[in-house]
Amino acid sequence: MRSLLDFIVRHSYVFLFILLETLSLVLLFGFNDRQKVAFMTSANSLSGSIFELRSGVDGYFNLHHENAILVEENARLRSMLYELTDSQTVDSARNMSSDGVIAARVVDNSVRKDDNYMTIDKGLLDGVEKGMGVYNSIGVIGVVMASGQRYSLVMPILNGNSSISSKIKGTDNFGFLEWMGGDPYTAQLRDVPYHSAVEVGDTVVTTGFSSVFPENITIGTVSDVQRSSNGYTLKIMVNLAVDLSDLGWAYVHSKTVDPEIVELQKKSTK
Amino acid sequence: MDTLSYMRRFGTFAFVAILQILFLNRIALFGYVTPLFYIWMIARFDNYMKRTGMLLWAFFLGLVLDIFSGTPGLNAASATLLAMFQPAILKLFVSVERHDQLFPGSASMGGHQFAGYLLLLTVLHHTVYFILRSIPLADWSVLVLKVVFSSLATFLFMIVADYVTKSSASKR
Repeated sequence: MRSLLDFIVRHSYVFLFILLETLSLVLLFGFNDRQKVAFMTSANSLSGSIFELRSGVDGYFNLHHENAILVEENARLRSMLYELTDSQTVDSARNMSSDGVIAARVVDNSVRKDDNYMTIDKGLLDGVEKGMGVYNSIGVIGVVMASGQRYSLVMPILNGNSSISSKIKGTDNFGFLEWMGGDPYTAQLRDVPYHSAVEVGDTVVTTGFSSVFPENITIGTVSDVQRSSNGYTLKIMVNLAVDLSDLGWAYVHSKTVDPEIVELQKKSTK
Repeated sequence: MDTLSYMRRFGTFAFVAILQILFLNRIALFGYVTPLFYIWMIARFDNYMKRTGMLLWAFFLGLVLDIFSGTPGLNAASATLLAMFQPAILKLFVSVERHDQLFPGSASMGGHQFAGYLLLLTVLHHTVYFILRSIPLADWSVLVLKVVFSSLATFLFMIVADYVTKSSASKR
């Protein structure tokens, strides 16, 4: 008995090792996706503030680049403003006013994992909620997945679970944009009917069907078109417009959906 | 362990954790290379240290990194495993007659031995780390590339760290 106790005391580190490894592996494999998100958002208020510190430092090195993008955007907005005053009717202006835009800074980001996530520095207190679209002056970034008080977790296009309603610009041929992993600059547009006239170089934009994004936000350009294996749809490779590894500022699209549409959707799902 | 060396260890802990979280985690050269320099702390554990202490330090270091990287358990599992095998690996590169307290470094062990020791530690840790990270294993060739190139990057960082600690120690 005595020698057994001795043995256990002398080798207590082996038991500790087994205990710690088990704990780690439970953490690693026990967290399914939803719990993972909860874990990440609860850590966000702590880690979010640290990430913010880091991106504050990074921000200075990117100022030149960011400025260039802002100037470009200013120019584009200005030209749109002129067009608007020239030709738009009062009615379309009314529609636009229901679309809110919240500017946010990307404080943490990854592109090299299979399921990438991003953190932005705006949360529930700023009006950012789950399901809102995130884009910048160049194009679509992703969709808000969960919001804490001050930070939100964004599922970018580069996430295996991301699916964004998209169409070829200027047509009504729409499908869903998904990412197959690997190359962070390419995604795939699926479910476009095979008879659609799609050519390499065409622009892919959001449909605006789902109120997640406004209509006609650029996603990327078509780089390859193939008939998919089922024969009825096209498999379209899309070069993403936004370099998701290089993000500074972003806009969150907060659309207050017309109550009448919500009512109709509720009816139809009953 | 006296208070001073305890504080020093805590300083190393904070230093490697902050460096890893704020800077190194963001490096992804060619999609393969991510230096995991934080294992430097485990590589520096001396041969007089209690094994339970080594395991606990490594586990909590891994856990802190996991919280900030959104990878619960990944770093904790691989760092704890490394701390378990560190004493055995250290023995491989130190002559049998030595029984004095030894802080692993090129100054105390000799350059070649220390480099071999670091390389073995790094490859062991990175193999476990990248296997756990890419479960379910789909692409072996990518896995091997990640292990090889990230190990090299980590190794280089540790050689620099050794050089810096050695020259700052000799100035004292």
